[in-house]
Amino acid sequence: MRRWLLPAILLSEIVLFTAIGGPALNSVLAFTKYFQDYLGDILAQSAPVLLLAFGMTMVLMTAGIDLSVGSMVALVACVMSSFPGRADFWWTAAPLGLVLAVSLGLTNGILIALLDIPAIVATLGTMILYRGLCFVVMGDVEKAPFLDVPGYEWLGQFWGAVLLVFLVFVIGGQYFHRSRWRREILMIGGNRVAARYAGIPVSRRICQVYALAGLAAFLAAICFTARNSSVSASSLSGLELHVIVAVVMGGTRVQGGAGSLTGTFFGVLILAVLEEGLRSAAVWGDQHLPFKISHLQYLLLGTLLVAGVWLSTRFNKQAHK
Amino acid sequence: MLQGRISRPIVQRLVVLLMGTIILLTVIGLLIKEGGSFFEVLARAGPNVAPTVLAALALTGIIFTGAIDLSIASMIVVAGTVFGILVFRGFNPVFCYAACFLTALTLSVVNGCLVRVLKIPAIIITLAGLAFYRGLALVIADMWVPGFSGNISVHDDAYHAPGKLYAGWILLFALAVAGTWELFAKSPRRWLALGNSEEACQLLGLDPGRVLQSAFLVSGLFLGTAALIYVTRVQSIEPARMALGFELQVIGAVILGGTNIFGGEGSYAGSVLGAFFLYFVLELLIYAGVSPYFQEVVTGAIILGVIGLDCGLNRRRKLLEELK
Repeated sequence: MRRWLLPAILLSEIVLFTAIGGPALNSVLAFTKYFQDYLGDILAQSAPVLLLAFGMTMVLMTAGIDLSVGSMVALVACVMSSFPGRADFWWTAAPLGLVLAVSLGLTNGILIALLDIPAIVATLGTMILYRGLCFVVMGDVEKAPFLDVPGYEWLGQFWGAVLLVFLVFVIGGQYFHRSRWRREILMIGGNRVAARYAGIPVSRRICQVYALAGLAAFLAAICFTARNSSVSASSLSGLELHVIVAVVMGGTRVQGGAGSLTGTFFGVLILAVLEEGLRSAAVWGDQHLPFKISHLQYLLLGTLLVAGVWLSTRFNKQAHK
Repeated sequence: MLQGRISRPIVQRLVVLLMGTIILLTVIGLLIKEGGSFFEVLARAGPNVAPTVLAALALTGIIFTGAIDLSIASMIVVAGTVFGILVFRGFNPVFCYAACFLTALTLSVVNGCLVRVLKIPAIIITLAGLAFYRGLALVIADMWVPGFSGNISVHDDAYHAPGKLYAGWILLFALAVAGTWELFAKSPRRWLALGNSEEACQLLGLDPGRVLQSAFLVSGLFLGTAALIYVTRVQSIEPARMALGFELQVIGAVILGGTNIFGGEGSYAGSVLGAFFLYFVLELLIYAGVSPYFQEVVTGAIILGVIGLDCGLNRRRKLLEELK
């Protein structure tokens, strides 16, 4: 993928939507104020998806896929919500959620690595299973103890989101990018048999990757509940597709063996800007279009995904010639 | 006749599923209380499971070739919305049915063309289709139904014939067609060949693009029928929420039936049995008085259990083969 392509898409999106739905920007002050709010909002909103996308990028690099992230986040949030919202939430519910999330991820990993079930099949099964467990835990009720916990709300606001994303993407990403571990999982994705011959512990690496995806699901669950404040058994369904689309648009190969975290970062932001932009363009859409503009989101999502992947395969082919 | 058509692991899976279904039916028969009839359960099963079975038949052919179609639910929604719009405009029922069928067929062919022309993995194209088609359904409903507020209701009984009256018969007919197709036709074997090795397929003188296209075409025929039954069974068509997660249920049935998700191995019979097996498991839960909250847990556990057992048992052989 060419380096400028994703930032260019992102920038043109922002310009387009500001022109359609934004306020009149007639002074420098109004301009900076608007973009400060806008970018802060986008980042805080997309923080959970960014965290999940980090895990998903690694999973796709190993030529796997994790369809169960949405159910996983929901299950962790459901279990944490059964604790009362007091200060002791931090040393009862949160550690429990962490252990649960990692073990859910590890279950995926074990099914895939040790039983040799194809990743898409295994995580499809766990996706249904975990969602079912949400219903068993919660039933029909909706619970909202989160905002009563001291310090919880802060994690959903701008600085909390920035801190989490910074920790995971910049520090974790830097470490990940230089690690030998990253090359090993890329090699597993590129050619599993060769990786085994090269002495890479394939099963262990795959388990680790899925456990990390579980960890990302825990962080995302905290971010989501801090923003939405309540959770029910059916919340966050369809999230996995959103995450996969973002990661794939960022240039990670679904067949494994290639991928970049920077691309993923831009992919998530492109989707978030698209969603936010269509929301703010609602008035314009009512005047100019024969349908609700928010419905365009799905159409644009599909088109962007295909266009992004098509362009990246074309550029890659040219680069290899 | 069967020799070479269906491989041994598939036969094993078929036997397991068949026995499982028989056991499930026996238990249901024992659990039925006074006043309920066992044959009623059987007679009800056909129409209820018809959309899943037909969609599973549609997906099986595509998975044979190593491709996949994640957008089947969204295509059904588009077909349903087209149907709803035409009903709203007061067209003749038969015309509405035909339009519904043809919409699903066309979209499936379009998917096939896109995969063939753009040379992008089918999973990405149809993942995009999953979002795109649902959006398309919402947009056309917005544009052509004045005062559209989320659902189009179809109250007239004249528009429910395929789903409510003939679903069982349509299903039987489709099963007969699929059975004959599997036993005597050449195409499924070509698809399997493509799923096994594209290179070998090409060396054999087959055009992989055309083979793939034909798989999507035939799948469109089954999917059109599935859409027709699905759409005419409900009283109101809600483009935003209709058939959510249906594709997962269908993929679950197909892989439970022993079809390899990466292509090259599988059978239509397995998919049908898989769909019936999952349906009867849920039915059993209802008769056993288990809380409906456990339905999904059990479905997930069964898919994982059956496939996990199968993969786990064959693991050593597979690893050795890989390292040869």
